[in-house]
Amino acid sequence: SEEAEVDLRDPGRDYELYKYTCQELQRLMAEIQDLKSRGGKDMAIEIEERRIQSCVHFMTLKKLNRLAHIRLKKGRDQTHEAKQKVDAYHLQLQNLLYEVMHLQKEITKCLEFKSKHEEIDLVSLEEFYNEAPPDISKAEVTMGDPHQQTLARLDWELEQRKRLADKYRECLSNKEKILKEIEVKKEYLSSLQPRLNSIMQASLPVQEYLFMPFDQAHKQYETARHLPPPLYVLFVQATAYGQACDKTLSVAIEGSVDEAKALFKPPEDSQDDESDSDAEEEQTTKRRRPTLGVQLDDKRKEMLKRHPLSVMFDLKCKDDSVLHLTFYYLMNLNIMTVKAKVTTATELITPISAGYWAGAVGSGAQDILTLRDYVLDLGHPYLWVQKLGGLHFPKEQPQHTVIADHSLSASHMETTMKLLKTRVQSRLALHKQFASLEHGIVPVTSDCQYLFPAKVVSRLVKWVTIAHEDYMELHFTKDIVEVGLAGDTNLYYMALVERGTAKLQAAVVLNPGYSSIPPIFRLCLNWKGEKTNSNDDNIRAMESEVNVCYKELCGPRPSHQLLTNQLQRLCVLLDVYLETESHDDSVEGPKEFPQEKMCLRLFRGPSRMKPFKYNHPQGFFSHR
Amino acid sequence: MERAVPLAVPLGQAEVFQALQRLHMTIFSQSVSPCGKFLAAGNNYGQIAIFSLSAALSSEAKEESKKPVVTFQAHDGPVYSMVSTDRHLLSAGDGEVKAWLWVEVLKKGCKELWHRQPPYRTSLEVPEINALLLVPKENSLILAGGDCQLHTMDLETGTFTRALRGHTDYIHCLALRERSPEVLSGGEDGAVRLWDLRTAKEVQTIEVYKHEECSRPHNGRWIGCLATDSDWMVCGGGPALTLWHLRSSTPTTIFPMRAPQKHVTFYQDLILSAGQGCCVNQWQLSGELKAQVPGSSPGLLSLSLNQQPAAPECKVLTAAGNSCRVDVFTNLGYRAFSLSF
Repeated sequence: SEEAEVDLRDPGRDYELYKYTCQELQRLMAEIQDLKSRGGKDMAIEIEERRIQSCVHFMTLKKLNRLAHIRLKKGRDQTHEAKQKVDAYHLQLQNLLYEVMHLQKEITKCLEFKSKHEEIDLVSLEEFYNEAPPDISKAEVTMGDPHQQTLARLDWELEQRKRLADKYRECLSNKEKILKEIEVKKEYLSSLQPRLNSIMQASLPVQEYLFMPFDQAHKQYETARHLPPPLYVLFVQATAYGQACDKTLSVAIEGSVDEAKALFKPPEDSQDDESDSDAEEEQTTKRRRPTLGVQLDDKRKEMLKRHPLSVMFDLKCKDDSVLHLTFYYLMNLNIMTVKAKVTTATELITPISAGYWAGAVGSGAQDILTLRDYVLDLGHPYLWVQKLGGLHFPKEQPQHTVIADHSLSASHMETTMKLLKTRVQSRLALHKQFASLEHGIVPVTSDCQYLFPAKVVSRLVKWVTIAHEDYMELHFTKDIVEVGLAGDTNLYYMALVERGTAKLQAAVVLNPGYSSIPPIFRLCLNWKGEKTNSNDDNIRAMESEVNVCYKELCGPRPSHQLLTNQLQRLCVLLDVYLETESHDDSVEGPKEFPQEKMCLRLFRGPSRMKPFKYNHPQGFFSHR
Repeated sequence: MERAVPLAVPLGQAEVFQALQRLHMTIFSQSVSPCGKFLAAGNNYGQIAIFSLSAALSSEAKEESKKPVVTFQAHDGPVYSMVSTDRHLLSAGDGEVKAWLWVEVLKKGCKELWHRQPPYRTSLEVPEINALLLVPKENSLILAGGDCQLHTMDLETGTFTRALRGHTDYIHCLALRERSPEVLSGGEDGAVRLWDLRTAKEVQTIEVYKHEECSRPHNGRWIGCLATDSDWMVCGGGPALTLWHLRSSTPTTIFPMRAPQKHVTFYQDLILSAGQGCCVNQWQLSGELKAQVPGSSPGLLSLSLNQQPAAPECKVLTAAGNSCRVDVFTNLGYRAFSLSF
């Protein structure tokens, strides 16, 4: 067939044949053209001949074309085959490469593999060889072979763990047993409580018979549980102090326990109440707005609400007077207040005025300002009261919540109680002295008589209380006010000492800390002009004698005689001043006050001081 | 709305006592250290306080600089008089004179170098020493006070060389007349006496109260202060403050000051005086009042001018008296600040 022919023929020769055939055809066509253009009948046979020749040439061309096609096809097929082979090899190569990569990855994975056994903390080699029994450790084998060594160690680890697990189970079961025992004992104890109660009840009559009111104390403690924390601290510390150190202090709780319990209602009830009241309130506000004043007043009352329970102290002093202190707790302000009352053996005195008790007003809420109006009703919120309740309000760092602290209360209890007693006693002594002073008599006790000469001519004619503002207005007290010794917690008095035409006014500042803090005197003498410490050095010296040298005038403890001794000395000083005044030669007439006091020298020193110091028992006057 | 009420802090007993002491303190004497940087002040409790003038005058002075560097108890009684030599501080009060080393006195717990008591006639009461005067030419110290005599003490040996008698009442003040040398003393008896130190005799007596122009009987006759400028002398006290010409013993100028003066001194061409009343008075020699500068104490007892050459920046006038404060005047026209015990 033609395929076979193709292989035999030479493509070059075919190409030549092709070119030759094309040429022949062209020639024939040209001849036919020629002939046709010449025309003629015989031409037709020539043309036909030529036509047949050209047909033959056409057929050759066709054959050549076919052969060319077949050649092309063969060539293509061969290329295709070769290409396929190459592709196949390529694929193979890729597969292999891929496999290689895969295997490499696997190898690295295998190499990186950490066996779980490496995570187990095994005991160190030395320990292992020391502790493990030889059938596990198999030293001869394991020493040489690390794999076997590791296996052996793992074995040992397993062994140890099994042992420990056993121990653990044992311990657990022990624990269960012990817990059961505890349960049994607890039940036993709890069954004891009702028995003890019944014994207590039975012993009540015996207690009463023997005057040991344990039950009463117990009841007190029961009520104490409902006290708010500061009052509770106060109660506990005071009872302890009273039992341990001071039999004259007795503590009691007053007030309604039910109300105290009622303060801690469960929240659900109050929430319902609130929502109802809220709805109600909204309605009412739409209809009628309450006035601002009423609202503020209500808020204030809410702020100043007192806890229903209060703690009462009874302090018995030596002279049978009793100081009653009632401590209250203001819940919203978290401070305590106190009300005081003194009953003496002979007469009842009205509540001690606020000015007398020392201690600053407690800090904390700014509402303290408004508290001043309510102080009479609610009591005084002194700092010492807060300290007794264990409440500490440090000035530098204001804290929002202050918790009652037992140690603070305990550290202040003893000193505060002692101070309270001394204050009451000195105050009562002062009252007695005031009664006498108002009648113009300076009551000097016999054991202080040695401080003064026998004859004192100047007399106290007036002793009155003056107000703080009036004291500040006096012209001769300005330096006391400037130094800060004339605060509003002091008491102020004016005394008038007279002799002849000379009148000596003395303004006295009485500090609540009397008598450890001395009364302070400021003098103004009206005699031949007005003399005060700014224009007369001797008046200054007289003030110094009573104010600075007061320690000699204290008298026997507890120094209740200080004020009266100071007043008596003032009279003596006026005597000396008037009698030692040098006689003015230009004025006629004798001296108004002849010198009766024995003095060594009349004037001394650059400021020409008079001899104000009295020497006992010689009885003469000299200079300090 | 209510006004915020200040909370009253209760004062303890010790604080009240300290406040009372300070209120009743009187500073009687002052003395400037030889270096000019420190001022010693003595008060009626017998304490001496040393203030650092250089610290208080410096530009970084704080409140603490106006407090004493050290305060110590020097005498049992008031310290009426103090003078400084070139190394020592001499203080005198109740009957004896004590010496302190200036370099030691600034340390705490300093002890006196020596103390001497002049031979007194009476033993009933120890007389006070009101005035001390240094006589540099003889290196001696003159003391005068309650026993109405002037005692001279030699500073080298400590012996009392002379006792000059003549006053009939106690002596307030002394002044030195350099040229002669003579000492002037003024006393409670109203007389100013001049003593010649070489002959130890009284050479002149001026009884101020006998002169009508200057006597003021309602104040008394006592002479509280003296100052002299060789030919002239100014004295004051009960009688009015008067300028005298010494040779003729006549009062030339009377200064119209009602209050008795307790300290007077010559300064440049002025006379400075202070006494009852809070002001330091500056007078012209003609008798006119040039200025009256108020201080902080209600009455003044001593003035001190720091003219030490070693410390020109501390050249101040200090005044002290009936209070615990020493006023410092850097310029004679106003009070700059006060040091306080």
